[in-house]
Amino acid sequence: MDDLIMTQRISKLKEKIHSNVRYASIEQAKIITDTYRANEDKPKIVQRALALKASLNRIEISIDPDELIVGNRTAGIRYGVVFPEGGTTWVDEEFEKLPTRAQDPFEVNQEDIIYFRENIKPYWETKSLEDVIQERYSNEINEISTVVKINQKDHAQGHICPDSKTWLAKGPQGLLEEAESYLENCPEEKKDFYKSVIITMEGAITFIERYADLANKLSNDSTIANTEERKISLIKIAENCQHISRKSPETFHEAVQLLWFLFVILQMESNASSFSPGRIDKFLYPYYKKDIDNGTITKQDALEIVESLWIKFNQIVYMRNSHSAKFFAGFPIGFNIALGGLDEKGNDFLNDISYLCLKAQEHLGMPQPNLSVRLHEKTSDEFIETAIKVVARGSGMPQFFNDKSVIPALREQGIEYVDALDYAIVGCVELTTQGNNLGWSDAAMFNLNKLLELTLTGGVDLLTSKKEKYIYSDQGDLATFSNFAELESAFAKNMDRYIGLMIKACEYVESAHIEILPTAFLSSVINPCLSEGIDVTAGGAKYNLSGIQMIQVANLADSLAAIKLLVFDEKKVSGAEFLEALKSNFQGYEPLRQMILNRVPKYGNDNDYVDNLGTRWAEYFKNRLSLYKNYRGGNYHTGMYTVSAHVPMGEVVGASPDGRFAKEPLADGGMSPMYGRDLEGPTAVLKSVSKLDKNLTSNGGLLNMKFLPKFFENEESIKRFVSFLRAFVELEIPHIQFNVVNRQDLIEAQKDPDRYRSLTIRVAGYTAYFTELATALQDEIIARTSYGEF
Amino acid sequence: MDQSSIQGTIFDIQRFSTHDGEGIRTNVFLKGCPLACVWCQNPEGIDPKIEPIWLPDKCIYCKACSDYAPAAISWDGDNLVINYAYQGDWSKIIEKCPTTALRFNAGKMTVLQLITELKKDEVFYKFGGGVTFSGGEPLIQIDFLELALIASKQRGWNTAIETALNVSWSSIERVLPYVDTLFADFKIFDNHEHMKHTFVSNNLIKENIGHLLTSEFKDKVIIRTPLIPIYTATKENISMIAKYISKIYPEVKYELLNYNPLAISKYPFTNLTYCFSDMNPTAYTNEEMLYFQNLALESGIRNLVKI
Repeated sequence: MDDLIMTQRISKLKEKIHSNVRYASIEQAKIITDTYRANEDKPKIVQRALALKASLNRIEISIDPDELIVGNRTAGIRYGVVFPEGGTTWVDEEFEKLPTRAQDPFEVNQEDIIYFRENIKPYWETKSLEDVIQERYSNEINEISTVVKINQKDHAQGHICPDSKTWLAKGPQGLLEEAESYLENCPEEKKDFYKSVIITMEGAITFIERYADLANKLSNDSTIANTEERKISLIKIAENCQHISRKSPETFHEAVQLLWFLFVILQMESNASSFSPGRIDKFLYPYYKKDIDNGTITKQDALEIVESLWIKFNQIVYMRNSHSAKFFAGFPIGFNIALGGLDEKGNDFLNDISYLCLKAQEHLGMPQPNLSVRLHEKTSDEFIETAIKVVARGSGMPQFFNDKSVIPALREQGIEYVDALDYAIVGCVELTTQGNNLGWSDAAMFNLNKLLELTLTGGVDLLTSKKEKYIYSDQGDLATFSNFAELESAFAKNMDRYIGLMIKACEYVESAHIEILPTAFLSSVINPCLSEGIDVTAGGAKYNLSGIQMIQVANLADSLAAIKLLVFDEKKVSGAEFLEALKSNFQGYEPLRQMILNRVPKYGNDNDYVDNLGTRWAEYFKNRLSLYKNYRGGNYHTGMYTVSAHVPMGEVVGASPDGRFAKEPLADGGMSPMYGRDLEGPTAVLKSVSKLDKNLTSNGGLLNMKFLPKFFENEESIKRFVSFLRAFVELEIPHIQFNVVNRQDLIEAQKDPDRYRSLTIRVAGYTAYFTELATALQDEIIARTSYGEF
Repeated sequence: MDQSSIQGTIFDIQRFSTHDGEGIRTNVFLKGCPLACVWCQNPEGIDPKIEPIWLPDKCIYCKACSDYAPAAISWDGDNLVINYAYQGDWSKIIEKCPTTALRFNAGKMTVLQLITELKKDEVFYKFGGGVTFSGGEPLIQIDFLELALIASKQRGWNTAIETALNVSWSSIERVLPYVDTLFADFKIFDNHEHMKHTFVSNNLIKENIGHLLTSEFKDKVIIRTPLIPIYTATKENISMIAKYISKIYPEVKYELLNYNPLAISKYPFTNLTYCFSDMNPTAYTNEEMLYFQNLALESGIRNLVKI
């Protein structure tokens, strides 16, 4: 693989991504709105299917003459798509501010704003998901919002890994015919579902054919097809698209092209965060093998096709509202790809595609795809070393997952062994089975530290002084708790109550999704929705989980340890004085704060005193949650991955007992220690993290580490890193990822963003361009502990 | 003496240490050294005494220490003055400091306590790592060291020690069976120069090298010379050392350690003076390292250790 190069074509395409101006687009919003208006009499699922079909038929498309893989949901690269079915209110409120907002800005056209306000917004006011939830449930959701952030309120559910293998085998024509045959014999109530699948597949076929036509046209235009190479590749694109519009792919190139169309269309239907391809080294391999065996392509050709797909992954971004953009900063779209891992017999699975994907990452170093490597005890040293060498180049990828942790954790959620063995990752680090799972990741984020604050104050918000409605007011506060057990029992009681309220809110949101956002196209690639005739939002998938995030166990453990040790065990400070210190944001209490920072054990240093407190409360939370079933009848389970939410989730928490000042960020990652508090080095971090049971992160866990580039400078260091990862597997930690970067480079990049435009950094479970992040988040990343300085 | 009550004086335990042995290691630094090299990388490890020290960067000047024990701690402007003659309980005073700016420069540990600490990273030792005893000079705490090494071997850990060899051969003999790698420093060949810069003669060191390289354990030994500009990193010194050791044992393993300019930052916390206070040289470049390595090879070394 070492002799494979990145071609001119790929470098040119990469360069163009940066030079393109990002706009917010209302083109699809217009089509969707017009279609709904023209079909008022039809059921929602049919209306939605028709809207998708119309979009597929009419959206402006483009082909870059250097492309080998084509297709996008807008003619421009990295456009933000206004999606009215999800919500229009936030767009209305924020449209003018889109170009200037701190995180993820987009340019706008003035005439679009006017058209949107006059023609689009009025129609959706009572119909979009956001509006319906707002109208029906805003009280219930807002009343708990200081502690619980409910997600998926203004967009369709993503974080799904479709059945790409079936899609490639059958294509839109095959699925259309399958839906037609089910339609013939199905009961009346399922007819709309099957009709809708057929409608969307007709759209998909047309969409692909339109690309064939356009490529054909361009190949005959001598101003565009101005070199022989361009002419040849345009003709090839035309042939590929023509073939796969109605037939299964024959070649690797066709298979990759059809795969990409699946993800474009899923985005056009849902505009959701993250549809992930999963184990492409598994399902693309037969196509590759056939071509290699026939001698029709070389490894270099295959790499260029893979790299073309990598470029496409970077051309779709997801426009969120400004609040949400803070939580998910830098356009994470989560085309997650999982390489390696165990096969269905429990043996090591690797092939050329696995290595080609690493090579593509090494060459391109872009934020997408979100590249993941599955490790286990039998993974070869060669593969781990190759992966580490890619990590050492600095894009933060691949990230590593641990089969030894993940597979049993999924099994505990009732997932069959064969499905658990075949797990993949969606979005950042969320775990999923492939093609049969609506995991509803990140349904809500539960701010454990805010709940602790409110428990310690007896319900008074330290930042706003407001009394929080649902905190029990008869349990006392830190000044009156006579022992640690009293504090813990008050905390538990409040937690029980907020979990109950959170579950209700999650149910409201899910019920609104069923009503407003049935997704026929997606359902056709999630088993067994098509054979059962049940939409995926209504519980048609084989697995129906809901993931709740615990934010952040690191700070919670540190805070509880500080109170336990200083107030109750050693009695160095009274509860009343400690509470005063929190109320005054430690102003006048610096010696106490220093005592907390220096004299109390901190999570991340392999100290049981504090680590066990974190574990204990995470388990309490998980067990409490497991008493409930979600709206689709599946389990609630827990995850520990903040995305970038540790910054905004910290902004709403006052001074905390772990010595953190009011509004400062919480620990990053999800399982990572608070930055600057892990002083015993990376092995101690791994040990602390390993004390969190794997079943606490069946929805996903995230461990961030930062290493200096010099750590990877020779073969000896790479070998050492292999042993570090082997221990990671042994310790059954679900996930780990590495930023390999010099602090000075980040500081320079802040000062001179233009020079560092292509510098990518691992934010949470995803990579973004460093200079596209808001300053507060940049600062926090710089503050994270670095290892490798000797 | 009861073995379980034998204590070592330890000034640091470093986890995730990636030098001085294979894989990911934990380094235990034992306090006290008969040498006092003017370039010492761990100057806090020379004096065997445990003493209170003050780190101004960590101090918030809350005066909790001097308020509690004015006879032990006083202030000269912004400088804390430690009265070493104070005979009271220092640990009580140190406990008052919220930031740990005032602390002991080392601690005592039994073998059991040490093994408990080392066990924390046991999972990493499985994949090529282990424990390394360094210093100071670990061999001057021979009773403790021997027991700690035996306990480590009983757990199946890879073990290494780093020594300057200015100790009796009988001490070295006691640990050899329990050591997988012995890193032995040979710093300066010329005895006059050696005495000038390390304050001891190198006669005993040469003698011990002779014993080591003719013993059944000779393949566990790696002789090392730290490259200190002016002092050790000279053509004559490297050639002489290389010739000397390869003559005793032609297959001897030899390693040249690059100069580490960071040591200077430790000196403000000691009452010692670093050899390059004014113009601290930088580490040698790859080309310069190659030059020294070639000198060693030309002088008879066959097994040059490079990392």
